[in-house]
Amino acid sequence: MSSTYDVSGVLPGDELDELPPGTTVLISGPSLVGKRQIAIEMLAAGNGDGDGMLLVTTKTSAASILRDFERIQPEFDRNRVGLIDSSGTDDRDGIREVATEYVGSPGDLTGISIGTAKLTKRFADRGVANVRHGLVSISTLLQYLDVETVFKFLHIYTNRVESSGGFAVFTLDDDSHDQQTVNTLTGEFDGVVQLRETEEGAVEYRVRGFGRSPSRWTPLE
Amino acid sequence: MTETDAPVVLIVEDEPDVAETYQIWLQGSYDVRTAETGDAALAAVDDDVDVVLLDRMMPGMSGADVLSAIRSRGIDTRVAMVSAVDPDFDVVEMGFDEYVTKPPTRDGLLETIETLLDRAEQSEALQEYYSLVARRSALETEKTEAKLEDSEEYARLNERIDAQREEADETLGDMESDLEFVSAVRELSELTEDAAGEEGADQLGDEE
Repeated sequence: MSSTYDVSGVLPGDELDELPPGTTVLISGPSLVGKRQIAIEMLAAGNGDGDGMLLVTTKTSAASILRDFERIQPEFDRNRVGLIDSSGTDDRDGIREVATEYVGSPGDLTGISIGTAKLTKRFADRGVANVRHGLVSISTLLQYLDVETVFKFLHIYTNRVESSGGFAVFTLDDDSHDQQTVNTLTGEFDGVVQLRETEEGAVEYRVRGFGRSPSRWTPLE
Repeated sequence: MTETDAPVVLIVEDEPDVAETYQIWLQGSYDVRTAETGDAALAAVDDDVDVVLLDRMMPGMSGADVLSAIRSRGIDTRVAMVSAVDPDFDVVEMGFDEYVTKPPTRDGLLETIETLLDRAEQSEALQEYYSLVARRSALETEKTEAKLEDSEEYARLNERIDAQREEADETLGDMESDLEFVSAVRELSELTEDAAGEEGADQLGDEE
């Protein structure tokens, strides 16, 4: 059985620490504010605990994500990472030793689901019980598919994470879509980490959902 | 739909006595059609067929060939592979929605058909769920949190959303299963293939 997912240390405050199996998190905020970095840190935080990591990329190459992981965790265990790359980029540096599935387009949800299923099975075969899922980013999916389809896909995906006792983190550019779309999609997650940029250029965050009272805007160091 | 309104099940099986056994089990609950070859199956399958039970090993066209023809024609149906060979991950990749080990038991076969009939209900259930959530988002966009708390409409909507989510999740089935998960996602893609096309891929920046 899966145990809790520790993400303490990713945010400067103690809003999020041990999250129960089945938890799904959305990181939302404007472009270029550092959402992907937080998502990757939440995934990488489990590498030392023996968790598997399964990340779907839509715009960034799997190879580049792998370099990010290794920057965060120098002792990074490549055997416990699986990447589904739908970015269409050619960057495959150092990726050979890592389980990677390539999908032709971020709009190919069936391809993405087959890729994730293959890599989950690989984890299961090796006795990895805890899997941290990631998808960066929902905004790319919305460039290829309508909001209804993306919403339904996220519903199915979060349902899978819940039924398998996993953990998942997704990112969304909240300034690229209208407020109603953002609200519609946000409701599918257990909680959201919102990011914003102040006029001075500092980044702040707050946490809502997770059955806790909402936190205030706090500087992200 | 057909005249009887019972779900339509197409049995594709080259051995007549095996096909007849399935037919005996299923008749009464379903409107059963049969085909002895892949070609006959493709002639018999259309959007009215809810579930196809497809024998993997047939002389001539194989089950996999029949499946890929069904998929490429965009026929709105769900397909279970019936095979004596133990399932491997290729069942998922080939695009089957379910898997039945041969020889199946009566209960096993009926259970598989019911799972696939639930899957057929998925689109409508998820669509209704989406519509309700979208309506709630519209309210949330228009009104302040204080106003929402006082709104009876908002409270009722939230109750309906919870109930509809449960209903939708029942149609999804066991999402921990790789096969059922991929099948559920495929069901979405089949609906949107025409709509999605190449229109996306503009310059929205989500690169960080």
